[in-house]
Amino acid sequence: MRQERADIVIIGGGGAGLRAAIAAAEADPSLDIALVSKVYPMRSHTVAAEGGCAGVVQDHDSLAHHFDDTVSGGDWLCDQDVVDYFVRHATEENLRLEHWGCPWSRRPDGRVNVRAFGGMKIERTWFAADKTGFHILHTLFQTSLKFPSIRRYDELFCTDLLVADGQCGGVQGIHMATGETVALLAPAVIIATGGAARVYRYNTNGGIVTGDGMAMAYRQGVPLRDMEFVQYHPTGLPGSGILITEAARGEGGVLTNSEGYRYLQDYGLGPETPLGAPQNKTMELGPRDKVSQAFWHESQAGRTLSSPRGEAVNLDLRHLGEARINERLPFIRELARTYIDVDPVHEAIPVRPTAHYTMGGIQTDGRTATVMPGLFAVGECASVGLHGANRLGSNSLAELSVFGRVAGEEAAALARSGSTPPEAALLGEARDNAARWEALRGARGTERLADLRNAMAEAMEEGVGIQRMPGAMEKTAATLRELRERYGHLRLEDDSLAFNTEWLSAIELGFLLDVAQAMTAAALARRESRGSHQRPEDYPTRDDAGYLKHSLAHYRRADAPEVAWQDVNITRSRPGERLYGGAARAKADADAKEEAEP
Amino acid sequence: MSDSIAIYVARYRPGQDEAPTEQRYDVPLSTDLSVLEALNYIKDELDPTLAYRWSCRMAICGSCGVMIDGEPRLGCKTFLREFADRGELHLRALDNFPVERDLIADVERFMDHLETVKPWTVHNSERPVSEGEYRQTPAELERYQQFSQCINCGLCYAACPQFGRDDSFLGPAALTLALRYNLDSRDDGSAGRMAALNADEGVWRCTFVGYCSEVCPKDVDPAQAVNRGKVASTINYGLNLLRLARGEHDT
Amino acid sequence: MTRKPYRAPQRWSWWLKNPAYRRYLLREATALPLFIYALVLVTGLYRYTQGQLAFTRWLEALQAPGWLVFHAVAVAACVLHAATWIELVPKLLVVPGISGRSIKRGHQVAALIGSALVLGAALVSWPLAGGAS
Ligand SMILES: Cc1cc2nc3c(=O)[nH]c(=O)nc-3n(C[C@H](O)[C@H](O)[C@H](O)COP(=O)(O)OP(=O)(O)OC[C@H]3O[C@@H](n4cnc5c(N)ncnc54)[C@H](O)[C@@H]3O)c2cc1C
Ligand code: SF4
Ligand code: FES
Repeated sequence: MRQERADIVIIGGGGAGLRAAIAAAEADPSLDIALVSKVYPMRSHTVAAEGGCAGVVQDHDSLAHHFDDTVSGGDWLCDQDVVDYFVRHATEENLRLEHWGCPWSRRPDGRVNVRAFGGMKIERTWFAADKTGFHILHTLFQTSLKFPSIRRYDELFCTDLLVADGQCGGVQGIHMATGETVALLAPAVIIATGGAARVYRYNTNGGIVTGDGMAMAYRQGVPLRDMEFVQYHPTGLPGSGILITEAARGEGGVLTNSEGYRYLQDYGLGPETPLGAPQNKTMELGPRDKVSQAFWHESQAGRTLSSPRGEAVNLDLRHLGEARINERLPFIRELARTYIDVDPVHEAIPVRPTAHYTMGGIQTDGRTATVMPGLFAVGECASVGLHGANRLGSNSLAELSVFGRVAGEEAAALARSGSTPPEAALLGEARDNAARWEALRGARGTERLADLRNAMAEAMEEGVGIQRMPGAMEKTAATLRELRERYGHLRLEDDSLAFNTEWLSAIELGFLLDVAQAMTAAALARRESRGSHQRPEDYPTRDDAGYLKHSLAHYRRADAPEVAWQDVNITRSRPGERLYGGAARAKADADAKEEAEP
Repeated sequence: MSDSIAIYVARYRPGQDEAPTEQRYDVPLSTDLSVLEALNYIKDELDPTLAYRWSCRMAICGSCGVMIDGEPRLGCKTFLREFADRGELHLRALDNFPVERDLIADVERFMDHLETVKPWTVHNSERPVSEGEYRQTPAELERYQQFSQCINCGLCYAACPQFGRDDSFLGPAALTLALRYNLDSRDDGSAGRMAALNADEGVWRCTFVGYCSEVCPKDVDPAQAVNRGKVASTINYGLNLLRLARGEHDT
Repeated sequence: MTRKPYRAPQRWSWWLKNPAYRRYLLREATALPLFIYALVLVTGLYRYTQGQLAFTRWLEALQAPGWLVFHAVAVAACVLHAATWIELVPKLLVVPGISGRSIKRGHQVAALIGSALVLGAALVSWPLAGGAS
């Protein structure tokens, strides 16, 4: 076992981890920062984000509008002090990225351009064509190279947090090229390992998005919060789940069913907007939960199309014309041509909802600290309280910089003053863990890894998908329990050390199963419908009296997770009805009138 | 079209094999299956010991580059249907890099080269964020946009015989990255990057084979960047001579 | 636990593996006939200084079938070399105002036709202007 030391360890080289590393390095150049990632940082899944990154810039926009959109978009389950901090710092962080070289798309006068996005009242989504995440990630990665105090541990696969006396004192991992165990001790640890949508069969996520950090923290007793809220993105390619960004609709793309009808007007998002004149928060620019749910209803009514890789509706961009598609959506054109042989200039793209984003995650406070001393979490793996029951598109990329910076600064402050738990205890733990992982390598059981993974992914689609039926949810919970049991009898063919990817996948599957159980337990416990969590059969409406609360899933080893509740921080926006389309405008007019005649 | 295709994978297990040897796998043929999906099929159904890298499966993370029938390509952007008529295809790890195991190449050298060109913006006078953005017109953006599309997949290095001969050559993507920042209207750091471009390992190693641009999956055209780097390097050389003649110090 | 990566040696035959490399080597190889052709021309110049007879003999010697074949090869090499360089120009030059990023096929064709016209005009007008009389 190799032992190393640092002042701060950051697990994750995605947008959140890189931003945290830079912030810590800027806060105190004397700190030794270890940036650990199981892939080279620029391969992290932030790279796949397409549409854009929120931040108020236009004169007729305001922080209050961004706040309201986020809170109502999250169905009032957002912590409002956190949202407040977020909207106040998002633009500043986008600008910082600009100064670091991010190639934001521009207006003719050279200022940064913004586009419309779902659930946003006014255009405030900064974009770099339709490769926003790619450009943000590469900008951050390249900028991080100028700090000598950031030491990278590329392709080091973390398996455990090292904890003693209830305090986090480092991490341990497997060096992928050699199979060697590495224990990395530090007084401050930041988890930035991204989401977990790979628990689903059809998803927009890369193969590496397996909830590792969530599970590592969860196993050490840190609760996972709001895990029942999983966002289905309305427009993924059928089969592969590859994402067609919401910006396609922001630019004016429309959704039609098998009858060529723009069905969203039947689901509280109308009235129909003219072609080529998209209106904010209306029709195709409704929030993702509602647009995805509309697909489910259309499917029940038999009004979807059948495509070679499953049911779909049409996303029609043809009226935008080739020039605009090439300028604003070049990657979408490339993806559609490559993966389904459809050129959106001439044909509509078949799309369907696919699992996309985990609103929940490791519980943190507004400064990214978890309940465990020494441990921070940030990015998609964390639940800082920003997204509530449904995330607005383009808020999460902004979250990476706003809270990544906070995490870096907080960790730097702690690293300067903090102490590490007793080293002997940490290393003893590391040796025990290593022995456990050793036993898994080339395990001689009977169960096939791929079978378990597929069974899990199917079960999650069935029980904890867009609409959640009580029977199906129970069945999923039972299946997951059974899979956990079978996981103890894995048979692995590969007992080598160098790049033993079968071994690492098996460890990932363990993480995925824990996260899937937390999601299912929280979904069962929340007896209401809110945001992306819909129970149309038994609890079809929102219940503020009972469930205006965050769920907290606690790990209970072999038993089902225990779900507790935490109050939501509400400062100024009382829960109201979520209105979109014409209804929202009518309400705004009425409010304005009321204000005018007191 | 037959209903299966033979995929030969060059396998190398360090400590066990002296050199890579091909192993055959028969994979059911479906026209929309990518080479990456075929590898995933092999790993799940036929042989879990096969090692390769992948993540995004949408041609943006740059993980999955391999030699496919002798050409460097992305596994997730290459489809089996292309090889259906021949009924077979051959895979091996990216050329010009050491092979760690099976299809996994050691790309450390490439990562070092990226760092060498100082790929970050330098501002002569740092402007506080509160003063807003640096203005950049769409035309100014367009000057470097193409060169900012590189996904660091390393295919161009596998295509470059000069890098194959001597991997101290900074190579196509790193030199492209230098140009990307040099062309950015917000950047004042060109001078600092010229040393790397001018150096022995810099642009002048390139003999204009041009294959790097052919294999680039993102139309970055690294050969163009490298050769524009030569123009820049020449001008820089001339200017330095002039300064020297005037008795100023070399920069 | 150390790594044991496999390093494939670059063989002399590397350029045979791939059509792109063969094309590259062919382009580089065009230098050879062009070099020989330059030597031939220099020889001619030298013979010219040796007087009328030497020069005529040199000219006659070049009528031999072997030399004719060589000249055909040299012309082909020259054309090939020129074509590959014209292909490569866009990678070197950015003409502001004409092309956003780089030179397109149209510009190349236009430039070729343009130069042919200029050359043609020069060839026609030279004797007219009483040149070489
Ligand atoms: C297709 C797609 C499009 C999107 N588009 C948008 C958009 O337009 N706008 C928007 O706001 N949001 C978008 N999102 C969401 C947003 O991109 C993500 O939430 C965000 O990028 C997550 O960043 P992150 O830094 O938290 O994690 P990631 O970028 O996923 O990085 C996780 C890091 O952790 C490392 N890691 C994980 N496990 C381990 C381990 N065990 N050991 C060591 N390292 C580990 C990984 O290697 C990686 O470096 C999109 C998401 C997807 C999937
Ligand atoms: S220039 Fe092209 S081929 Fe080379 S690393 Fe970048 S994307 Fe890959
Ligand atoms: S898997 Fe990401 S580029 Fe192929």
